Amino acid sequence: MAISLSKGGNVNLSKEAPGLNKIIVGLGWDARATDGAAFDLDASAFLVKMDGKVRSDSDFIFYNQPKSACGSVEHTGDNKTGVGEGDDEAVKVTLSTIPAELDKIVFAVTIHDADARRQNFGQVSHAYIRIVNEDGGAEIARYDLSEDASTETAMVFGEIYRVGTDWKFKAVGQGFAGGLAPLATSFGVSV
Amino acid sequence: MNILKGQRVALTSLFQNQPQADCFQIGLCVSGNKDVVDFACFGLDSQQKLSDDAYMTFFNQPKTPCGAIELSTPAGDTLGFACQLAKLPTKIDKLVFTAAIDGATSMRQIQNGHLRFLLAGQEVARFAFSGADFQDEKAVMLGELYRKDGTWRFSAVGQGFNGGMAALVQHFGGEVAEDVTAPVTTKLSLEKKLASAPKLIDLAKKATVSLEKYQLQETVARVGLVLDASGSMMNQYRTGKVQEVINRLLPLAVHFDDDAALDVWAFSSNTIALPPATLNNYADFIDSTEGGWRNWGMMSINNEPKVIKQVIELYQKTLLPVLVIFISDGGVSRNKEIKDLLTSAACLPIFWQFVGIGGRNYGVLEQLDTMAGRVVDNCGFFALDDLNSVSEQELYDRLLNEFPLWLKAAKQKHII
Repeated sequence: MAISLSKGGNVNLSKEAPGLNKIIVGLGWDARATDGAAFDLDASAFLVKMDGKVRSDSDFIFYNQPKSACGSVEHTGDNKTGVGEGDDEAVKVTLSTIPAELDKIVFAVTIHDADARRQNFGQVSHAYIRIVNEDGGAEIARYDLSEDASTETAMVFGEIYRVGTDWKFKAVGQGFAGGLAPLATSFGVSV
Repeated sequence: MNILKGQRVALTSLFQNQPQADCFQIGLCVSGNKDVVDFACFGLDSQQKLSDDAYMTFFNQPKTPCGAIELSTPAGDTLGFACQLAKLPTKIDKLVFTAAIDGATSMRQIQNGHLRFLLAGQEVARFAFSGADFQDEKAVMLGELYRKDGTWRFSAVGQGFNGGMAALVQHFGGEVAEDVTAPVTTKLSLEKKLASAPKLIDLAKKATVSLEKYQLQETVARVGLVLDASGSMMNQYRTGKVQEVINRLLPLAVHFDDDAALDVWAFSSNTIALPPATLNNYADFIDSTEGGWRNWGMMSINNEPKVIKQVIELYQKTLLPVLVIFISDGGVSRNKEIKDLLTSAACLPIFWQFVGIGGRNYGVLEQLDTMAGRVVDNCGFFALDDLNSVSEQELYDRLLNEFPLWLKAAKQKHII
């Protein structure tokens, strides 16, 4: 039984699933039922050091740069509408090969073209982020963020971070004004 | 407090624990649009469907069975609801407040509007929107109240459908098709349309009941009225009984016809096509149109074929179905001619509802229902002792009884 997190909650992944190495961070949302431009949510990941910044731009993983240099973080592709069952976008992470100098991986979601389409997270139904053990496919933790989302167009959904030798996941649910570019800048990416 | 589109918020934080928060009002308003905007509240089940039509609260159904939602318009708003959520049955999971434009315009053409919350008549929160928040939607979910972990929350949705109320009702799982189960209306506003004609308001309710009964709420059609103006009708004209016919039938034309116009002919030995009766000229139609009935050159013998030909000529190329109500006081003699005309007219999108009044010698009219040799049965007939001898409710029921059967048959034969 997966742990359902609320905003700010965290879970020790290594304790929940001993021996955990490969995880899938899945992002899902409901396709738009009403008329108007589709909701296109994009997942991205920032590999950051203790100071919360990336080492270089190559630590910013998104649809145009789907794989980290170390190979341990991989974006599996861009779903542009949210149509279909299950996760709409996913980032695969191999915990054991993450370079030691990296402390945390932050997962963010932005709404593509949100300003022009006058969209925000509050309009999107059933958006969630979940952590799945790639070995066996069991869901370890889930964070439904529809209720916490509101008028933001970019959002830090959650992060996995080291605590000693363990990895924990935290449901952040923190909105960020302005979209993907300023969000990336805040993590030290030059865009 | 201002609520932004997309924002979700707990009701308790909207009301900030003020007293009387268990009984609040929602006020709705859209302005700057030339078309009528109809507001409604849909009570949905946990599957987000309108499983019980009684939980659609609007102009014609002002209260839910439980009394939790009731029409109650705050001063300055177009429509509003009094809400006592504690009274709602648990099967109702969500209340969606909607606006639907009844006309050619869309939501982007509105100037502005709002959904606001009031406690004891005082505004506590407002979700304001404008035309720029929308595109071509004709029906929108403005906001919704929903249960979440034992509490009520509000979401400023501001999304909708270009297909208007019909698409919205479909989204809620309602039936829009013309057959099966209880229909949900998209033409909400017969009473509103008649607001400028206070004399007819009472008729609107009765007409609406019949329209719903025969599932004609969605039907768009032209409506024509043929008035017998032969000499034997003189007393009926003089005493205002024919004017009463105009009053009673105009609501049907307002409902069916987008132009809200009733096409009128009078016939005796000759035929006169009068200007259409509308909400602007109906009140004194018989006595003043074209100089009043005394100047129409009528009050002679009756020649039905002549007027039937004129009616056919006007409607034969229309793409809409046509309901022609044909009033006759009898003395019908040109039976073969009438029969031939109506038989060949069976391939046209016209339904003829004959109404006999006064009760003498209706000739072929009485047999029209069963007349053979037609693609579809395009005629109905019933007789009344007097134009005013039946209640309005009964009149509407009888007038609309056969029309839907013809609509269905004509559709099957691709006549309409």
